[in-house]
Amino acid sequence: MSTANALDTTIAVVTPENIAFEYQLAGPFRRLPAYLIDVATRWAVILLFVFILLMIGVLTNISSFGSFLLATGMVIYFIISWFYGTFLETYFNGRTIGKWACGLRVICVDGRPIDGTRAVIRNLVRIADIAPFAAASQFYDDASTLIWIPTGMVGFISVICTRRMQRLGDLAAGTMVVVDEKSWRLPVTKIEDPRVPALAAYIPGDYRVTRSMARTLAIYCERRAYLTPARRREIAMHLTTPLIERFEFRPDIDPDLLMVALYHATFLSDSRSEPPALGPLANASPLLRDLKKQTSELGTINLREQQAGPVDGPLIATAVNESADESAKESANESANESAKESATDGAVHS
Amino acid sequence: MNVAKVLEKRQQQWAELEKLCDMLEVRGQDRKHGAAGISRFATLYRAACADLALSDSYQLPPATVTYLHRLVARAHNRLYRASRIDPTTWADTVLRIAPQQIFMDPCVRVATFLFFGLFTLAAFLGVNEQWFPDFVPQLVGQEQITQFETMYEKPVSGSLDHYIAMAGFYIMHNTGIGLQCFAFGILIIPCLFKLAFNAVTLGAMFGYMAREDSSGGDNFMHFVTAHGPFELTAIALAGAAGLRFGLGLFYTNGLTRVQSLRDAATRAVPIMAASATLFFLAAFTEGFISPSPLPYLFKAFWAIFSAGLISFYFVVLGFPRDDRPFLKNDGTFDPFANDESL
Repeated sequence: MSTANALDTTIAVVTPENIAFEYQLAGPFRRLPAYLIDVATRWAVILLFVFILLMIGVLTNISSFGSFLLATGMVIYFIISWFYGTFLETYFNGRTIGKWACGLRVICVDGRPIDGTRAVIRNLVRIADIAPFAAASQFYDDASTLIWIPTGMVGFISVICTRRMQRLGDLAAGTMVVVDEKSWRLPVTKIEDPRVPALAAYIPGDYRVTRSMARTLAIYCERRAYLTPARRREIAMHLTTPLIERFEFRPDIDPDLLMVALYHATFLSDSRSEPPALGPLANASPLLRDLKKQTSELGTINLREQQAGPVDGPLIATAVNESADESAKESANESANESAKESATDGAVHS
Repeated sequence: MNVAKVLEKRQQQWAELEKLCDMLEVRGQDRKHGAAGISRFATLYRAACADLALSDSYQLPPATVTYLHRLVARAHNRLYRASRIDPTTWADTVLRIAPQQIFMDPCVRVATFLFFGLFTLAAFLGVNEQWFPDFVPQLVGQEQITQFETMYEKPVSGSLDHYIAMAGFYIMHNTGIGLQCFAFGILIIPCLFKLAFNAVTLGAMFGYMAREDSSGGDNFMHFVTAHGPFELTAIALAGAAGLRFGLGLFYTNGLTRVQSLRDAATRAVPIMAASATLFFLAAFTEGFISPSPLPYLFKAFWAIFSAGLISFYFVVLGFPRDDRPFLKNDGTFDPFANDESL
């Protein structure tokens, strides 16, 4: 029913709607703060009750009432310390206060919500999970031998050894703890660069992006913000070099720009019948056959770009206007690309 | 195809679903929204499910797919909630299913024999001063014996406030030990140790106090008679629940180990509940009746009455009956099961 990715902390669950969606499992270090918050809350609630009982005792001032309050206090302590988690997980759909604060939730391993019996089991077995206990007198000589510090090694080992990161209580109850954060930003990569739609318009209409290519493009565009321009170019080059040949583009096109343009064409652009408003870039062409024509008109384009103002850079990344000889520049560029690629692969192999 | 346009169109519904998820976070909010709100929520949830199912063919960006996974998971958790405990089935569970299951459980028999066997043995060894003079001092320690004897030197008496406080303490302390016994059942050894340790210690003290020459023996008997049946049965049952639980680890009955453990835990819950109830009854008896200056006859009568109550529940109600056909031992209705007992 559910399978786990060997290297990931997600687990797939099939719902009655016949949808397999993934839960992100919560590891021991996400659960520890939640547990500590729960312990603190539990004691806070107990102390609150003690305070209320004390206030009642002081205010009423009936002598035989005191022991009744004492007994009530002990019963309340017993109930809260043993059934705090059970109660909250049943009534708040698998969340305690600590889990709520840390964005966690307990669910059954098959994705259904937790029920009362399971909540009872997993919360009772916690005492076995926080075993073995170390005596406080081991650390401080003058500490009382009655104070025991739970080390939690049993539960910890169980969590790191099971596929669904379950402690013993989870195993016994058939539950798992998943990450259930409150809000998730919907990530859509926005592209502001005006050169992108211009370049995208030149991508041939018969080019279809494959499924894996689409995924690659999306991942690239989401992550390129964290990379330096040089690194972007280096990464994108491996995909764009064959594409530039296929599209018959000029070989000195910025690989990063081409990737973004492909992303735009795949995910963002409208139907191709509608030409994009190119503005100052109307005459710029990335095509190889236009290169010659363009170099002669470069002066005018540069002029227009200056007039247009906030264009980040020229359409073509590497310097175009330095050399008049196309073929020499082309071969030089290719060899540079080749050597860069080689050095990259060499580095990869040797490192 | 323009994914951005699709996303923009769908995003409104997703945002609405997220908002509804936030609102339905707390139980009881669903009533406020009424049937229309619930049905709207379900529609949006199914639409999000469909989007997730089609995300691959839409070639949605991976981050959006991740977002959809989270959204569907959240909505799924709101739609399928923890089932409330239905009080109408309680009577049936408590009066018919639980006692029959406990009666049939071999772990209960083993734990009961182990506990009462060790208890009797220790009591026998403790009471025979001529044959085993060193048994109790070596087991419990001379200090403990002296402390114990001084505790029962005075005849039992006490005021009401003392009783109430003690009842509270016994609930907290003894039931806690019982629950620990159950929880440590998953590690088996600590559970068996707790069971055996309690049996031997209690038995040895009983035996020691029953000696002719022990000081405070009469007072001790006066104190323990009333709550004895409840308390001892409760300890035995707590051990039984732990044993049932831990047995699932290695007696898998053809299931996977984890599934077997899960089944064993579910089967151990009624035993644990019975044990906890007996601990509560014992605590009230121990708090109110045992230390009271009531005549010994009344306390003995109470002990006999409680023993009868326990026997009635576990033996009379628990004796396997065929009052409903096609009923399996665990209480589930299954007309097509291959019942080997027939």
